[in-house]
Amino acid sequence: MVEPSSSSTFSYRGAPLASLPRELDPAEYNESPEKRQAQAERLAVRARLKRQYQLQLNNPHSSELIEDPAMLRWTYARTYNIYPNFRPTPKTSLLGALSGLVPIFFWWYVFKADRDRKEKLIQEGKYKRPFVLNS
Amino acid sequence: MLKILLPTIMLLPTITLCKPKQLWPTTLINSFGVALLSLQWFNPPQELTMTFSNYYLSIDQISAPLLILSCWLTPLMILASQNHLIMEPISRKQTFIFTIILLQISLMLAFSTTELIMFFIMFEATLIPTLVIITRWGNQMERLNAGTYFLFYTLIGSLPLLIALLSLQNQIGTLSICMMQLNQPTMLSTWTHTTWWFALLIAFMIKMPLYGLHLWLPKAHVEAPIAGSMILAAVLLKLGGYGIIRITLTLNPLSKTLSYPFMVLALWGVIMTGSICLRQTDLKSLIAYSSVSHMGLVIAATLTQTQWAHTGAITLMIAHGLTSSMLFCLANTNYERTHSRTLLLARNMQLLFPLMGLWWLLASLTNMALPPTINLMGELTIITSLFNWSNITILMTGLGTLITATYTLYMLSTTQWGEMPSYIKMIPPTHTREHLLMMLHILPTTLLMMKPELIWGTFY
Repeated sequence: MVEPSSSSTFSYRGAPLASLPRELDPAEYNESPEKRQAQAERLAVRARLKRQYQLQLNNPHSSELIEDPAMLRWTYARTYNIYPNFRPTPKTSLLGALSGLVPIFFWWYVFKADRDRKEKLIQEGKYKRPFVLNS
Repeated sequence: MLKILLPTIMLLPTITLCKPKQLWPTTLINSFGVALLSLQWFNPPQELTMTFSNYYLSIDQISAPLLILSCWLTPLMILASQNHLIMEPISRKQTFIFTIILLQISLMLAFSTTELIMFFIMFEATLIPTLVIITRWGNQMERLNAGTYFLFYTLIGSLPLLIALLSLQNQIGTLSICMMQLNQPTMLSTWTHTTWWFALLIAFMIKMPLYGLHLWLPKAHVEAPIAGSMILAAVLLKLGGYGIIRITLTLNPLSKTLSYPFMVLALWGVIMTGSICLRQTDLKSLIAYSSVSHMGLVIAATLTQTQWAHTGAITLMIAHGLTSSMLFCLANTNYERTHSRTLLLARNMQLLFPLMGLWWLLASLTNMALPPTINLMGELTIITSLFNWSNITILMTGLGTLITATYTLYMLSTTQWGEMPSYIKMIPPTHTREHLLMMLHILPTTLLMMKPELIWGTFY
Protein backbone atom coordinates (compact mmCIF):
# COMPACT_ATOMS: atom_id res chain seq x y z
CA MET A 1 0.00 0.00 0.00
CA VAL A 2 1.15 3.53 -0.76
CA GLU A 3 2.01 5.82 2.14
CA PRO A 4 -0.12 8.94 2.39
CA SER A 5 1.58 12.05 1.12
CA SER A 6 0.38 14.08 4.07
CA SER A 7 -1.73 13.12 7.03
CA SER A 8 -4.53 15.60 6.28
CA THR A 9 -5.18 14.67 2.65
CA PHE A 10 -7.02 11.65 1.31
CA SER A 11 -4.91 8.51 1.48
CA TYR A 12 -5.41 5.96 -1.19
CA ARG A 13 -6.31 2.48 -0.14
CA GLY A 14 -7.38 -0.42 -2.28
CA ALA A 15 -11.03 -1.53 -2.20
CA PRO A 16 -11.53 -3.79 0.84
CA LEU A 17 -12.90 -6.80 -1.10
CA ALA A 18 -10.98 -6.45 -4.35
CA SER A 19 -7.53 -7.92 -4.89
CA LEU A 20 -4.69 -5.57 -5.53
CA PRO A 21 -3.48 -5.46 -9.15
CA ARG A 22 -0.02 -6.82 -9.68
CA GLU A 23 1.32 -3.50 -10.95
CA LEU A 24 0.38 -1.65 -7.78
CA ASP A 25 1.97 -4.13 -5.41
CA PRO A 26 5.44 -2.89 -4.46
CA ALA A 27 6.62 -6.43 -3.73
CA GLU A 28 6.30 -7.15 -7.45
CA TYR A 29 9.30 -5.04 -8.22
CA ASN A 30 11.59 -6.86 -5.82
CA GLU A 31 11.09 -10.41 -7.14
CA SER A 32 13.93 -12.87 -6.89
CA PRO A 33 15.48 -14.36 -10.04
CA GLU A 34 14.06 -17.82 -9.23
CA LYS A 35 10.58 -16.39 -9.10
CA ARG A 36 11.16 -14.57 -12.36
CA GLN A 37 12.37 -17.84 -13.87
CA ALA A 38 9.29 -19.70 -12.70
CA GLN A 39 7.03 -16.97 -14.06
CA ALA A 40 8.77 -17.12 -17.41
CA GLU A 41 8.34 -20.91 -17.56
CA ARG A 42 4.65 -20.68 -16.79
CA LEU A 43 4.29 -17.99 -19.41
CA ALA A 44 6.00 -20.27 -21.92
CA VAL A 45 3.56 -23.10 -21.14
CA ARG A 46 0.57 -20.78 -21.50
CA ALA A 47 1.91 -19.39 -24.74
CA ARG A 48 2.44 -22.90 -26.10
CA LEU A 49 -1.11 -23.88 -25.28
CA LYS A 50 -2.48 -20.70 -26.80
CA ARG A 51 -0.46 -21.30 -29.94
CA GLN A 52 -1.77 -24.86 -30.15
CA TYR A 53 -5.31 -23.61 -29.80
CA GLN A 54 -4.83 -20.90 -32.41
CA LEU A 55 -3.33 -23.40 -34.83
CA GLN A 56 -6.35 -25.66 -34.43
CA LEU A 57 -8.74 -22.73 -34.65
CA ASN A 58 -7.33 -21.36 -37.88
CA ASN A 59 -6.55 -24.66 -39.53
CA PRO A 60 -8.60 -24.76 -42.74
CA HIS A 61 -8.40 -28.54 -43.07
CA SER A 62 -9.47 -29.56 -39.64
CA SER A 63 -12.86 -30.52 -38.36
CA GLU A 64 -15.73 -28.67 -36.87
CA LEU A 65 -14.88 -29.04 -33.22
CA ILE A 66 -11.73 -28.40 -31.26
CA GLU A 67 -11.51 -31.17 -28.73
CA ASP A 68 -10.82 -30.16 -25.21
CA PRO A 69 -8.83 -33.00 -23.61
CA ALA A 70 -9.60 -31.68 -20.15
CA MET A 71 -13.32 -31.91 -20.83
CA LEU A 72 -12.97 -35.41 -22.22
CA ARG A 73 -11.07 -36.52 -19.14
CA TRP A 74 -13.61 -34.84 -16.88
CA THR A 75 -16.60 -36.47 -18.54
CA TYR A 76 -14.87 -39.85 -18.56
CA ALA A 77 -14.09 -39.51 -14.87
CA ARG A 78 -17.64 -38.53 -14.05
CA THR A 79 -19.38 -41.23 -16.07
CA TYR A 80 -17.26 -44.31 -16.69
CA ASN A 81 -14.51 -44.20 -14.12
CA ILE A 82 -16.50 -44.23 -10.91
CA TYR A 83 -17.00 -47.91 -10.24
CA PRO A 84 -13.41 -48.99 -11.04
CA ASN A 85 -12.30 -46.69 -8.25
CA PHE A 86 -14.89 -47.90 -5.81
CA ARG A 87 -13.87 -50.04 -2.89
CA PRO A 88 -16.35 -51.26 -0.29
CA THR A 89 -15.12 -49.84 3.00
CA PRO A 90 -17.08 -49.52 6.23
CA LYS A 91 -17.77 -45.89 5.43
CA THR A 92 -19.06 -46.52 1.92
CA SER A 93 -21.10 -49.50 3.06
CA LEU A 94 -22.68 -47.42 5.80
CA LEU A 95 -23.40 -44.59 3.39
CA GLY A 96 -24.89 -47.01 0.90
CA ALA A 97 -27.13 -48.60 3.51
CA LEU A 98 -28.19 -45.21 4.83
CA SER A 99 -29.05 -43.71 1.48
CA GLY A 100 -30.29 -46.88 -0.19
CA LEU A 101 -31.96 -49.14 2.33
CA VAL A 102 -33.02 -46.89 5.20
CA PRO A 103 -35.32 -44.61 3.14
CA ILE A 104 -37.08 -47.65 1.67
CA PHE A 105 -37.86 -49.11 5.04
CA PHE A 106 -38.66 -45.70 6.53
CA TRP A 107 -41.23 -44.87 3.88
CA TRP A 108 -42.61 -48.44 4.04
CA TYR A 109 -43.22 -48.00 7.74
CA VAL A 110 -44.73 -44.53 7.26
CA PHE A 111 -47.17 -45.64 4.55
CA LYS A 112 -48.11 -48.82 6.35
CA ALA A 113 -48.80 -46.95 9.59
CA ASP A 114 -50.83 -44.29 7.83
CA ARG A 115 -52.92 -46.75 5.86
CA ASP A 116 -53.47 -49.03 8.85
CA ARG A 117 -54.66 -46.04 10.85
CA LYS A 118 -57.10 -45.10 8.10
CA GLU A 119 -58.24 -48.72 7.77
CA LYS A 120 -58.87 -48.90 11.51
CA LEU A 121 -60.90 -45.69 11.38
CA ILE A 122 -62.95 -46.98 8.46
CA GLN A 123 -63.64 -50.29 10.14
CA GLU A 124 -64.70 -48.56 13.33
CA GLY A 125 -66.94 -46.33 11.25
CA LYS A 126 -65.24 -43.16 12.44
CA TYR A 127 -63.72 -42.10 9.08
CA LYS A 128 -65.55 -39.10 7.65
CA ARG A 129 -65.63 -39.44 3.89
CA PRO A 130 -64.45 -36.18 2.37
CA PHE A 131 -66.69 -36.49 -0.71
CA VAL A 132 -70.12 -37.99 -1.15
CA LEU A 133 -69.76 -40.27 -4.13
CA ASN A 134 -72.88 -42.40 -4.08
CA SER A 135 -75.71 -39.92 -4.37
CA MET B 1 -56.34 -55.72 -37.52
CA LEU B 2 -55.11 -57.71 -40.42
CA LYS B 3 -54.98 -54.73 -42.76
CA ILE B 4 -52.31 -53.27 -40.54
CA LEU B 5 -50.44 -56.41 -39.64
CA LEU B 6 -50.08 -57.71 -43.17
CA PRO B 7 -48.62 -54.53 -44.70
CA THR B 8 -46.11 -54.42 -41.86
CA ILE B 9 -45.09 -58.03 -42.38
CA MET B 10 -44.95 -57.50 -46.12
CA LEU B 11 -42.62 -54.56 -45.59
CA LEU B 12 -39.94 -57.10 -44.68
CA PRO B 13 -39.55 -58.50 -48.22
CA THR B 14 -40.21 -55.01 -49.65
CA ILE B 15 -37.02 -53.83 -48.01
CA THR B 16 -34.98 -56.37 -49.92
CA LEU B 17 -36.88 -55.98 -53.19
CA CYS B 18 -36.95 -52.21 -53.63
CA LYS B 19 -34.25 -50.29 -55.45
CA PRO B 20 -31.39 -49.19 -53.22
CA LYS B 21 -31.93 -45.51 -54.00
CA GLN B 22 -35.54 -45.77 -52.95
CA LEU B 23 -35.04 -47.71 -49.76
CA TRP B 24 -35.62 -44.86 -47.31
CA PRO B 25 -38.58 -43.21 -49.09
CA THR B 26 -40.28 -46.58 -49.66
CA THR B 27 -40.05 -47.75 -46.09
CA LEU B 28 -40.98 -44.32 -44.80
CA ILE B 29 -44.11 -44.00 -46.89
CA ASN B 30 -45.13 -47.57 -46.20
CA SER B 31 -44.79 -47.20 -42.45
CA PHE B 32 -46.60 -43.84 -42.53
CA GLY B 33 -49.43 -45.58 -44.36
CA VAL B 34 -49.53 -48.22 -41.64
CA ALA B 35 -49.51 -45.49 -38.98
CA LEU B 36 -52.39 -43.72 -40.72
CA LEU B 37 -54.40 -46.93 -40.90
CA SER B 38 -53.67 -47.63 -37.24
CA LEU B 39 -55.58 -44.50 -36.25
CA GLN B 40 -58.77 -46.48 -36.80
CA TRP B 41 -58.07 -48.21 -33.49
CA PHE B 42 -59.04 -45.04 -31.67
CA ASN B 43 -62.65 -45.87 -32.44
CA PRO B 44 -64.23 -46.42 -29.03
CA PRO B 45 -66.13 -49.67 -28.59
CA GLN B 46 -69.90 -49.39 -28.52
CA GLU B 47 -71.00 -52.67 -27.06
CA LEU B 48 -68.21 -54.89 -25.85
CA THR B 49 -64.96 -53.73 -24.34
CA MET B 50 -62.84 -55.22 -27.08
CA THR B 51 -63.01 -54.28 -30.73
CA PHE B 52 -61.38 -55.41 -33.96
CA SER B 53 -61.04 -58.85 -32.53
CA ASN B 54 -60.30 -62.22 -33.98
CA TYR B 55 -59.41 -65.41 -32.15
CA TYR B 56 -56.06 -64.22 -30.85
CA LEU B 57 -55.89 -60.46 -31.14
CA SER B 58 -58.18 -57.69 -30.05
CA ILE B 59 -57.97 -54.01 -29.28
CA ASP B 60 -59.39 -52.29 -26.28
CA GLN B 61 -58.96 -48.81 -24.96
CA ILE B 62 -55.90 -49.65 -22.88
CA SER B 63 -53.96 -51.18 -25.74
CA ALA B 64 -55.17 -48.91 -28.55
CA PRO B 65 -53.15 -45.81 -27.58
CA LEU B 66 -49.99 -47.86 -27.09
CA LEU B 67 -50.48 -49.67 -30.39
CA ILE B 68 -51.00 -46.43 -32.25
CA LEU B 69 -47.93 -44.99 -30.54
CA SER B 70 -45.76 -47.91 -31.63
CA CYS B 71 -47.13 -47.70 -35.19
CA TRP B 72 -46.52 -43.93 -35.21
CA LEU B 73 -43.01 -44.30 -33.92
CA THR B 74 -41.76 -46.65 -36.65
CA PRO B 75 -41.70 -44.04 -39.46
CA LEU B 76 -40.19 -41.60 -36.97
CA MET B 77 -37.43 -44.08 -36.21
CA ILE B 78 -36.76 -44.56 -39.91
CA LEU B 79 -36.71 -40.79 -40.38
CA ALA B 80 -34.31 -40.26 -37.49
CA SER B 81 -31.81 -42.92 -38.55
CA GLN B 82 -31.18 -41.66 -42.04
CA ASN B 83 -28.20 -39.56 -41.14
CA HIS B 84 -26.11 -41.88 -39.03
CA LEU B 85 -26.55 -44.73 -41.51
CA ILE B 86 -25.57 -42.67 -44.51
CA MET B 87 -22.15 -44.23 -44.87
CA GLU B 88 -23.22 -47.81 -44.40
CA PRO B 89 -23.52 -50.23 -47.33
CA ILE B 90 -27.00 -50.94 -48.56
CA SER B 91 -27.24 -54.40 -47.03
CA ARG B 92 -26.64 -53.02 -43.54
CA LYS B 93 -29.25 -50.34 -44.04
CA GLN B 94 -31.68 -53.02 -45.10
CA THR B 95 -30.81 -55.07 -42.03
CA PHE B 96 -31.40 -52.06 -39.81
CA ILE B 97 -34.83 -51.35 -41.22
CA PHE B 98 -35.59 -55.07 -41.11
CA THR B 99 -34.81 -55.06 -37.39
CA ILE B 100 -37.01 -52.02 -36.81
CA ILE B 101 -39.95 -53.61 -38.61
CA LEU B 102 -39.48 -56.89 -36.74
CA LEU B 103 -39.60 -54.90 -33.52
CA GLN B 104 -42.78 -53.20 -34.60
CA ILE B 105 -44.46 -56.49 -35.48
CA SER B 106 -43.64 -58.04 -32.11
CA LEU B 107 -44.80 -54.88 -30.34
CA MET B 108 -48.09 -54.86 -32.24
CA LEU B 109 -48.68 -58.49 -31.43
CA ALA B 110 -47.71 -57.93 -27.79
CA PHE B 111 -50.13 -55.07 -27.27
CA SER B 112 -53.07 -56.59 -29.10
CA THR B 113 -52.94 -60.20 -27.97
CA THR B 114 -55.53 -61.73 -25.71
CA GLU B 115 -53.55 -64.73 -24.54
CA LEU B 116 -51.10 -63.99 -21.77
CA ILE B 117 -48.62 -66.59 -22.99
CA MET B 118 -48.58 -64.91 -26.39
CA PHE B 119 -48.00 -61.62 -24.62
CA PHE B 120 -45.09 -63.18 -22.78
CA ILE B 121 -43.57 -64.54 -25.98
CA MET B 122 -43.89 -61.19 -27.70
CA PHE B 123 -42.56 -59.45 -24.60
CA GLU B 124 -39.42 -61.55 -24.91
CA ALA B 125 -39.38 -61.26 -28.68
CA THR B 126 -38.99 -57.50 -28.51
CA LEU B 127 -35.69 -58.00 -26.72
CA ILE B 128 -33.84 -59.52 -29.66
CA PRO B 129 -34.27 -56.77 -32.28
CA THR B 130 -33.57 -54.13 -29.65
CA LEU B 131 -30.42 -55.97 -28.59
CA VAL B 132 -29.33 -56.12 -32.22
CA ILE B 133 -29.95 -52.41 -32.68
CA ILE B 134 -28.06 -51.47 -29.51
CA THR B 135 -25.04 -53.69 -29.91
CA ARG B 136 -24.62 -53.49 -33.66
CA TRP B 137 -25.31 -49.82 -34.35
CA GLY B 138 -24.39 -48.16 -31.10
CA ASN B 139 -21.48 -45.80 -31.15
CA GLN B 140 -19.28 -46.50 -28.19
CA MET B 141 -17.49 -49.56 -26.98
CA GLU B 142 -19.70 -49.68 -23.91
CA ARG B 143 -22.63 -50.75 -26.07
CA LEU B 144 -21.74 -54.41 -25.51
CA ASN B 145 -21.96 -53.95 -21.77
CA ALA B 146 -25.20 -52.07 -22.25
CA GLY B 147 -26.69 -54.83 -24.37
CA THR B 148 -25.75 -57.44 -21.80
CA TYR B 149 -27.31 -55.45 -18.96
CA PHE B 150 -30.43 -54.81 -21.01
CA LEU B 151 -30.90 -58.44 -22.00
CA PHE B 152 -30.16 -60.14 -18.73
CA TYR B 153 -32.01 -57.76 -16.43
CA THR B 154 -35.19 -58.37 -18.38
CA LEU B 155 -34.63 -62.09 -18.74
CA ILE B 156 -34.04 -62.59 -15.01
CA GLY B 157 -37.39 -60.99 -14.34
CA SER B 158 -39.27 -62.83 -17.01
CA LEU B 159 -38.42 -66.35 -15.90
CA PRO B 160 -40.60 -66.06 -12.76
CA LEU B 161 -43.27 -64.53 -14.98
CA LEU B 162 -43.26 -67.59 -17.21
CA ILE B 163 -43.52 -69.95 -14.26
CA ALA B 164 -46.35 -67.94 -12.71
CA LEU B 165 -48.28 -67.85 -15.98
CA LEU B 166 -47.84 -71.57 -16.55
CA SER B 167 -49.00 -72.36 -13.03
CA LEU B 168 -52.04 -70.18 -13.63
CA GLN B 169 -52.73 -72.04 -16.86
CA ASN B 170 -52.55 -75.32 -14.96
CA GLN B 171 -55.05 -74.09 -12.42
CA ILE B 172 -57.58 -72.33 -14.61
CA GLY B 173 -57.05 -74.04 -17.95
CA THR B 174 -56.87 -70.89 -20.03
CA LEU B 175 -54.88 -67.70 -20.11
CA SER B 176 -57.14 -65.69 -22.33
CA ILE B 177 -57.85 -62.26 -20.91
CA CYS B 178 -61.51 -62.49 -21.86
CA MET B 179 -61.99 -65.87 -20.23
CA MET B 180 -60.09 -65.13 -17.06
CA GLN B 181 -62.47 -62.33 -16.15
CA LEU B 182 -65.08 -65.03 -15.54
CA ASN B 183 -62.80 -66.77 -13.11
CA GLN B 184 -63.34 -66.56 -9.36
CA PRO B 185 -60.70 -64.36 -7.79
CA THR B 186 -58.57 -66.19 -5.28
CA MET B 187 -58.53 -64.34 -1.97
CA LEU B 188 -55.49 -65.86 -0.39
CA SER B 189 -53.26 -64.02 2.01
CA THR B 190 -50.63 -66.72 2.15
CA TRP B 191 -47.01 -66.41 1.26
CA THR B 192 -47.65 -68.51 -1.85
CA HIS B 193 -50.03 -65.91 -3.13
CA THR B 194 -47.59 -63.10 -2.42
CA THR B 195 -44.75 -64.97 -4.12
CA TRP B 196 -46.96 -65.71 -7.10
CA TRP B 197 -47.86 -62.05 -7.47
CA PHE B 198 -44.21 -61.10 -7.04
CA ALA B 199 -43.29 -63.50 -9.85
CA LEU B 200 -45.99 -61.98 -12.06
CA LEU B 201 -44.96 -58.41 -11.44
CA ILE B 202 -41.19 -58.52 -11.23
CA ALA B 203 -40.64 -58.79 -14.98
CA PHE B 204 -42.71 -55.69 -15.63
CA MET B 205 -41.12 -53.85 -12.74
CA ILE B 206 -37.69 -54.43 -14.26
CA LYS B 207 -38.98 -53.35 -17.64
CA MET B 208 -40.62 -50.14 -16.49
CA PRO B 209 -38.10 -49.77 -14.68
CA LEU B 210 -38.60 -49.67 -10.98
CA TYR B 211 -36.02 -47.62 -9.12
CA GLY B 212 -33.93 -50.39 -7.56
CA LEU B 213 -33.79 -52.42 -10.77
CA HIS B 214 -33.23 -49.58 -13.21
CA LEU B 215 -29.52 -50.01 -13.80
CA TRP B 216 -29.94 -51.30 -17.35
CA LEU B 217 -31.85 -48.27 -18.53
CA PRO B 218 -29.25 -45.50 -18.55
CA LYS B 219 -26.75 -47.82 -20.18
CA ALA B 220 -29.13 -49.06 -22.85
CA HIS B 221 -30.55 -45.64 -23.65
CA VAL B 222 -27.19 -43.94 -23.83
CA GLU B 223 -25.43 -46.53 -25.94
CA ALA B 224 -28.28 -47.15 -28.36
CA PRO B 225 -28.46 -45.30 -31.66
CA ILE B 226 -31.27 -42.82 -32.04
CA ALA B 227 -33.82 -45.33 -33.31
CA GLY B 228 -33.02 -47.66 -30.42
CA SER B 229 -33.32 -44.87 -27.87
CA MET B 230 -36.61 -43.71 -29.36
CA ILE B 231 -38.28 -47.08 -29.34
CA LEU B 232 -36.87 -47.99 -25.93
CA ALA B 233 -38.06 -44.81 -24.27
CA ALA B 234 -41.35 -44.50 -26.04
CA VAL B 235 -42.74 -47.99 -26.27
CA LEU B 236 -40.63 -50.70 -24.69
CA LEU B 237 -40.87 -49.21 -21.22
CA LYS B 238 -44.62 -49.01 -21.67
CA LEU B 239 -44.72 -52.75 -22.35
CA GLY B 240 -44.00 -53.13 -18.67
CA GLY B 241 -46.72 -50.68 -17.73
CA TYR B 242 -49.20 -52.33 -20.04
CA GLY B 243 -48.33 -55.71 -18.55
CA ILE B 244 -48.91 -54.49 -15.00
CA ILE B 245 -52.24 -52.92 -15.92
CA ARG B 246 -53.48 -56.00 -17.78
CA ILE B 247 -52.44 -58.41 -15.08
CA THR B 248 -53.77 -56.40 -12.15
CA LEU B 249 -57.06 -55.79 -13.95
CA THR B 250 -57.51 -59.42 -14.94
CA LEU B 251 -56.20 -61.21 -11.91
CA ASN B 252 -57.60 -59.21 -9.02
CA PRO B 253 -56.73 -58.79 -6.20
CA LEU B 254 -53.13 -57.78 -5.81
CA SER B 255 -51.72 -58.87 -2.50
CA LYS B 256 -51.52 -55.90 -0.19
CA THR B 257 -48.18 -56.71 1.35
CA LEU B 258 -46.60 -56.57 -2.08
CA SER B 259 -47.83 -53.15 -3.01
CA TYR B 260 -45.84 -51.46 -0.23
CA PRO B 261 -42.25 -52.24 -1.29
CA PHE B 262 -42.99 -51.56 -4.97
CA MET B 263 -44.83 -48.37 -4.17
CA VAL B 264 -42.09 -47.12 -1.87
CA LEU B 265 -39.39 -47.95 -4.41
CA ALA B 266 -41.33 -46.25 -7.20
CA LEU B 267 -42.02 -43.04 -5.27
CA TRP B 268 -38.59 -42.81 -3.70
CA GLY B 269 -37.20 -43.51 -7.14
CA VAL B 270 -39.01 -40.49 -8.55
CA ILE B 271 -37.08 -38.25 -6.17
CA MET B 272 -33.78 -40.11 -6.37
CA THR B 273 -33.58 -40.33 -10.15
CA GLY B 274 -34.71 -36.72 -10.41
CA SER B 275 -31.84 -35.71 -8.17
CA ILE B 276 -29.42 -37.82 -10.19
CA CYS B 277 -30.59 -35.94 -13.29
CA LEU B 278 -29.34 -32.72 -11.77
CA ARG B 279 -25.83 -34.15 -11.56
CA GLN B 280 -25.52 -35.62 -15.02
CA THR B 281 -22.91 -34.58 -17.52
CA ASP B 282 -24.26 -36.74 -20.32
CA LEU B 283 -27.33 -35.39 -22.07
CA LYS B 284 -28.77 -38.74 -23.07
CA SER B 285 -28.18 -40.06 -19.58
CA LEU B 286 -30.19 -37.14 -18.21
CA ILE B 287 -33.13 -37.95 -20.45
CA ALA B 288 -32.83 -41.65 -19.56
CA TYR B 289 -33.01 -40.94 -15.83
CA SER B 290 -35.97 -38.64 -16.43
CA SER B 291 -37.68 -41.63 -18.06
CA VAL B 292 -37.11 -43.66 -14.90
CA SER B 293 -38.58 -40.81 -12.88
CA HIS B 294 -41.77 -40.57 -14.92
CA MET B 295 -42.21 -44.31 -15.03
CA GLY B 296 -41.90 -44.43 -11.26
CA LEU B 297 -45.07 -42.37 -11.10
CA VAL B 298 -46.77 -44.78 -13.49
CA ILE B 299 -45.77 -47.81 -11.40
CA ALA B 300 -47.00 -46.18 -8.21
CA ALA B 301 -50.31 -45.41 -9.90
CA THR B 302 -50.90 -48.86 -11.34
CA LEU B 303 -50.25 -50.43 -7.97
CA THR B 304 -53.09 -48.48 -6.34
CA GLN B 305 -55.50 -50.13 -8.79
CA THR B 306 -58.14 -47.43 -8.77
CA GLN B 307 -59.89 -46.11 -11.85
CA TRP B 308 -58.26 -42.71 -11.75
CA ALA B 309 -54.88 -44.29 -11.26
CA HIS B 310 -55.18 -46.46 -14.36
CA THR B 311 -56.40 -43.50 -16.38
CA GLY B 312 -53.48 -41.40 -15.23
CA ALA B 313 -51.02 -44.21 -15.86
CA ILE B 314 -52.12 -44.77 -19.45
CA THR B 315 -52.21 -41.03 -20.16
CA LEU B 316 -48.76 -40.47 -18.73
CA MET B 317 -47.38 -43.46 -20.62
CA ILE B 318 -48.50 -42.04 -23.97
CA ALA B 319 -47.49 -38.49 -23.12
CA HIS B 320 -44.11 -39.51 -21.82
CA GLY B 321 -43.53 -41.75 -24.82
CA LEU B 322 -43.92 -38.87 -27.23
CA THR B 323 -41.99 -36.38 -25.10
CA SER B 324 -39.09 -38.66 -24.26
CA SER B 325 -38.71 -39.75 -27.86
CA MET B 326 -38.66 -36.11 -28.93
CA LEU B 327 -36.00 -35.28 -26.35
CA PHE B 328 -33.85 -38.14 -27.58
CA CYS B 329 -34.20 -36.89 -31.16
CA LEU B 330 -33.14 -33.43 -30.03
CA ALA B 331 -30.16 -34.85 -28.18
CA ASN B 332 -29.30 -36.75 -31.32
CA THR B 333 -29.23 -33.54 -33.37
CA ASN B 334 -26.62 -32.28 -30.92
CA TYR B 335 -24.74 -35.56 -31.04
CA GLU B 336 -24.59 -35.69 -34.83
CA ARG B 337 -23.00 -32.26 -34.88
CA THR B 338 -20.53 -32.44 -32.04
CA HIS B 339 -20.09 -36.24 -31.78
CA SER B 340 -20.27 -35.92 -28.05
CA ARG B 341 -23.08 -36.29 -25.59
CA THR B 342 -21.61 -33.91 -23.05
CA LEU B 343 -24.20 -31.47 -21.87
CA LEU B 344 -21.76 -28.62 -21.46
CA LEU B 345 -20.30 -28.98 -24.91
CA ALA B 346 -23.18 -27.58 -26.94
CA ARG B 347 -24.39 -24.47 -25.21
CA ASN B 348 -26.29 -21.48 -26.56
CA MET B 349 -27.55 -23.56 -29.43
CA GLN B 350 -30.56 -21.30 -29.71
CA LEU B 351 -28.38 -18.67 -31.31
CA LEU B 352 -27.32 -21.09 -34.02
CA PHE B 353 -30.52 -23.06 -34.49
CA PRO B 354 -33.49 -20.91 -33.54
CA LEU B 355 -36.17 -23.24 -34.86
CA MET B 356 -34.60 -26.19 -33.13
CA GLY B 357 -34.68 -24.01 -30.03
CA LEU B 358 -38.45 -23.92 -30.40
CA TRP B 359 -38.59 -27.71 -30.42
CA TRP B 360 -36.27 -27.85 -27.42
CA LEU B 361 -38.58 -25.44 -25.61
CA LEU B 362 -41.72 -27.39 -26.44
CA ALA B 363 -40.16 -30.71 -25.49
CA SER B 364 -38.91 -29.29 -22.19
CA LEU B 365 -42.28 -27.73 -21.45
CA THR B 366 -44.10 -30.99 -22.01
CA ASN B 367 -41.48 -32.88 -20.02
CA MET B 368 -42.07 -30.54 -17.10
CA ALA B 369 -45.79 -31.32 -17.29
CA LEU B 370 -46.83 -27.82 -18.11
CA PRO B 371 -50.57 -27.27 -18.30
CA PRO B 372 -52.47 -27.96 -20.54
CA THR B 373 -50.35 -30.77 -21.95
CA ILE B 374 -51.35 -34.39 -21.60
CA ASN B 375 -48.27 -34.90 -19.45
CA LEU B 376 -49.88 -32.70 -16.84
CA MET B 377 -53.20 -34.49 -17.17
CA GLY B 378 -51.52 -37.82 -16.54
CA GLU B 379 -49.34 -36.61 -13.68
CA LEU B 380 -52.13 -34.74 -11.96
CA THR B 381 -54.46 -37.72 -12.15
CA ILE B 382 -51.74 -39.96 -10.77
CA ILE B 383 -50.88 -37.55 -7.95
CA THR B 384 -54.54 -37.28 -7.01
CA SER B 385 -55.05 -41.03 -6.95
CA LEU B 386 -51.88 -41.51 -4.90
CA PHE B 387 -53.12 -38.87 -2.46
CA ASN B 388 -56.26 -40.92 -2.09
CA TRP B 389 -54.15 -44.02 -1.39
CA SER B 390 -52.20 -42.29 1.33
CA ASN B 391 -52.06 -38.60 2.09
CA ILE B 392 -48.31 -38.66 2.71
CA THR B 393 -47.45 -39.46 -0.90
CA ILE B 394 -48.11 -35.82 -1.76
CA LEU B 395 -44.76 -35.01 -0.19
CA MET B 396 -42.90 -37.28 -2.55
CA THR B 397 -44.89 -36.54 -5.67
CA GLY B 398 -44.82 -32.79 -5.05
CA LEU B 399 -41.07 -32.82 -4.50
CA GLY B 400 -40.75 -35.01 -7.57
CA THR B 401 -42.62 -32.51 -9.70
CA LEU B 402 -40.37 -29.73 -8.43
CA ILE B 403 -37.20 -31.68 -9.19
CA THR B 404 -38.54 -32.59 -12.65
CA ALA B 405 -39.07 -28.92 -13.44
CA THR B 406 -35.59 -28.12 -12.13
CA TYR B 407 -33.65 -30.62 -14.20
CA THR B 408 -35.71 -29.97 -17.30
CA LEU B 409 -34.98 -26.27 -17.04
CA TYR B 410 -31.34 -27.09 -16.34
CA MET B 411 -31.19 -29.14 -19.52
CA LEU B 412 -32.98 -26.46 -21.53
CA SER B 413 -30.88 -23.59 -20.24
CA THR B 414 -27.59 -25.40 -20.69
CA THR B 415 -28.26 -26.43 -24.27
CA GLN B 416 -30.06 -23.32 -25.42
CA TRP B 417 -28.68 -20.36 -23.53
CA GLY B 418 -25.43 -19.43 -21.91
CA GLU B 419 -21.96 -18.78 -23.17
CA MET B 420 -21.35 -19.59 -26.79
CA PRO B 421 -18.64 -22.25 -26.97
CA SER B 422 -15.68 -20.79 -28.85
CA TYR B 423 -14.21 -24.16 -29.75
CA ILE B 424 -17.04 -25.02 -32.12
CA LYS B 425 -15.74 -23.84 -35.44
CA MET B 426 -18.35 -25.12 -37.78
CA ILE B 427 -21.72 -26.64 -37.16
CA PRO B 428 -23.75 -28.01 -40.05
CA PRO B 429 -27.18 -26.43 -40.26
CA THR B 430 -30.34 -28.28 -39.35
CA HIS B 431 -32.00 -30.47 -41.89
CA THR B 432 -35.62 -30.21 -42.87
CA ARG B 433 -35.86 -33.87 -42.00
CA GLU B 434 -34.99 -33.08 -38.38
CA HIS B 435 -37.61 -30.36 -38.17
CA LEU B 436 -40.14 -32.73 -39.68
CA LEU B 437 -39.20 -35.31 -37.08
CA MET B 438 -39.74 -32.88 -34.20
CA MET B 439 -42.97 -31.62 -35.69
CA LEU B 440 -44.28 -35.16 -36.02
CA HIS B 441 -43.54 -35.71 -32.36
CA ILE B 442 -45.15 -32.53 -31.10
CA LEU B 443 -48.18 -32.77 -33.40
CA PRO B 444 -49.81 -35.78 -31.65
CA THR B 445 -49.04 -34.23 -28.27
CA THR B 446 -50.80 -31.01 -29.27
CA LEU B 447 -53.72 -32.78 -30.89
CA LEU B 448 -54.20 -35.06 -27.92
CA MET B 449 -54.47 -31.97 -25.75
CA MET B 450 -57.66 -31.22 -27.63
CA LYS B 451 -59.18 -34.68 -27.25
CA PRO B 452 -57.51 -36.51 -24.39
CA GLU B 453 -60.39 -38.96 -24.08
CA LEU B 454 -58.62 -41.03 -26.70
CA ILE B 455 -55.83 -41.94 -24.29
CA TRP B 456 -57.83 -42.14 -21.09
CA GLY B 457 -58.35 -45.87 -21.26
CA THR B 458 -61.37 -47.86 -20.29
CA PHE B 459 -62.35 -45.93 -17.22
CA TYR B 460 -63.34 -42.74 -18.92
